[in-house]
Amino acid sequence: MVLSILPGRIVSLRAERLLVELVYSLMDSEFVAEDRQKTNASLAAELHDVRLSRQGDSDAYTRLIKQHQSQVSRMLWRFSRDPLVHEELVQDVFVEAYLSLRSYREKAPFGHWLSRIATRIGYRYWKQIARRGETESFSLAEWDQLPDKSPDEMDPGRAADLLHRLLAQLRPRDRLVLTLRYLEGCDVAETARRTGWTKSLVKIQSLRARKRLKKLFAQAGKGLRE
Amino acid sequence: MKNESLFEALSARARSETPPSVDVSGRVIAILNAEQSRIEQLTEKPLLWLAAASSAFAVSAVVIAIMVYNASTGPLYEISQAISWVVQ
Repeated sequence: MVLSILPGRIVSLRAERLLVELVYSLMDSEFVAEDRQKTNASLAAELHDVRLSRQGDSDAYTRLIKQHQSQVSRMLWRFSRDPLVHEELVQDVFVEAYLSLRSYREKAPFGHWLSRIATRIGYRYWKQIARRGETESFSLAEWDQLPDKSPDEMDPGRAADLLHRLLAQLRPRDRLVLTLRYLEGCDVAETARRTGWTKSLVKIQSLRARKRLKKLFAQAGKGLRE
Repeated sequence: MKNESLFEALSARARSETPPSVDVSGRVIAILNAEQSRIEQLTEKPLLWLAAASSAFAVSAVVIAIMVYNASTGPLYEISQAISWVVQ
């Protein structure tokens, strides 16, 4: 293929390889540019839908819901693993988002703004169940029975369920920071953005929450597994 | 393995979990429509009460004005009658 680009010339293997790399990199840059164009176009369409929704266009808001509900659903699955409660929380996010749509300043993508609302609603739900004293059951014996060597082979659903019930033993504030940092994999900045806390507060809160988690293990007489 | 490392490993594993799929669009729009009509009703009702109160106030103001007019024109009427009698 490269030789056909340069007819009548002998091209060494090294040069051929360099030319192939150049062609591929050019193709890649075209794909990247195309992707960026698509992203920009979808963001513009999203913004247009936000503006139409503000004017009361329910079709535009339906499009926004359909576009973001899987992302919101994934976030809120960390807050409740009861399918009915989970669905209700997802619904609450979109209702609350619509009612406060005027406060969306269009500086960040709509999904980012929604993630803050989702975190706030999930946290509020945890505080409600903590006030009612409805703690999910968890036995540290379950934790102790886990295989030490191969947590990577564990079913993701089972791992998530176990962690969900373990973290439910903590106060909502500790639970929130550990859920975001570990289960969601958010860094300090992202956790601060989603909670509305400062970065220093997130760091302090993470430290405290981890101490309380250690204390929880210690109280059960398990301490550290080694 | 330390509890903390196990916690981190399980967290990483849990991240690949697929949540149940939901479609709340229909319900959200229904809730928002219901909320909208409730807000409209709430905003209409005070206007109705305001209209009724201002009408009642206007009627009573007219009645009082007629009474005051009659009371104030009564003595003048007597005086004007007396003047016209003197002139004749």
